[in-house]
Amino acid sequence: MWNDDFEDLVRGFLPFLPDTEDLAPEADLKELGLDSLNAVHLLSVLENAYRVRFDDSALSMETFRTAGMLWSTVERTLDHAAR
Amino acid sequence: MGAPSGGGGFTTAMVFPGMGPVPFRDIGRFMVANPFARELVAVADDVLGYSLVDSLREDPGDYTEAAQVAFFVNCLACARWAEADLGVTPDVVTGPSFGEKAVLAYTGVLELPDAVRLTADIARCLDEYFAEEHTDVVTLSFVRAPMAKIEPIFAELTERGEWHEISCYVDDGFFMVSIAESEVEWLAARVRGIGGMPLYTMRPPMHASLFRGLRDKAEREVVSRYRFADPSLPVVADQDGSLLHTGEQLRTMLLDGFDHPMNWPSVTDALRDSGVRRLCVAGPDSLFGRVPCAAERFDVVAAQPRLAMTPRRRVLAA
Repeated sequence: MWNDDFEDLVRGFLPFLPDTEDLAPEADLKELGLDSLNAVHLLSVLENAYRVRFDDSALSMETFRTAGMLWSTVERTLDHAAR
Repeated sequence: MGAPSGGGGFTTAMVFPGMGPVPFRDIGRFMVANPFARELVAVADDVLGYSLVDSLREDPGDYTEAAQVAFFVNCLACARWAEADLGVTPDVVTGPSFGEKAVLAYTGVLELPDAVRLTADIARCLDEYFAEEHTDVVTLSFVRAPMAKIEPIFAELTERGEWHEISCYVDDGFFMVSIAESEVEWLAARVRGIGGMPLYTMRPPMHASLFRGLRDKAEREVVSRYRFADPSLPVVADQDGSLLHTGEQLRTMLLDGFDHPMNWPSVTDALRDSGVRRLCVAGPDSLFGRVPCAAERFDVVAAQPRLAMTPRRRVLAA
């Protein structure tokens, strides 16, 4: 499961997710208000926060479909960066 | 045409955004409940001969004739709402891409019923043209692709004899490129290779020299039927940021929209140079008021249907 920092960052881009509601890994981020322009912004925010660059395969709107998919990409990217 | 003079005394621009897909749930209530929208929808219903709202509800297509007329009507309604409820008083107007049509109505270049008819007829022209011509061409948008890095990729396409053209300059490193559908996967992969991110592929495509035939068809079958009056406010052309004052210039801008690229940074540069510091983006915008060349250099008032339907205290903005 992701850490609090990740959830805080992502929540900032989800205007339709009430503060009192959990962010489920399978939640559709588009339904929660993440459009393509915000996805690009979130990508930059995550890259800066974790000091990584997403690789080619992650640079797609598909990466931003659910919170779970996005977190796996961050984990994978951190893993590659640590090697 | 001419460039706006530096510090030309403008302060506020009314911006009619380019069109994107808008779900019915985002605009349905606005169209039946907002008094400005209701009045404009009634005019559109008369011109079209059918109920715009019913048609939108029944056909969820993103770029149907009804969707295009609805986008046009909602942008105008948002502008009127922004004037009345937010106190916005523009002294210059612009409309990237599809927004050109709302500019024509807003500035009185065309009477509202004529502008509705023109919007619907151009939608029909697009359908007819792209059903027969360039059936393999789409427009791919992508971001995070600096010009210095994307140019060599375009050069590779040229070397391979693959036609491509930038249709929209949206922001620094943000482009929409028209290209054969069979090349989209290749281009998207190359964009990712330079750290860019492909966003979406659009059909019909727009704004490319290849579509000269569409321009001619639209001029012959639609535009030639109307007389373009001089605009009540100066208009900044979305192709190059030049300042327009006559109906003839706006007619040319509308026709250029078919086969010339849209260049939003040139518009925002021109507005900034002419003294504008506030943009009122009127309509369901998900792009033009939000990219850095607008959002970071202007006070952006996003006059959206959703905002117009939110109960709020009447506020005055200078």
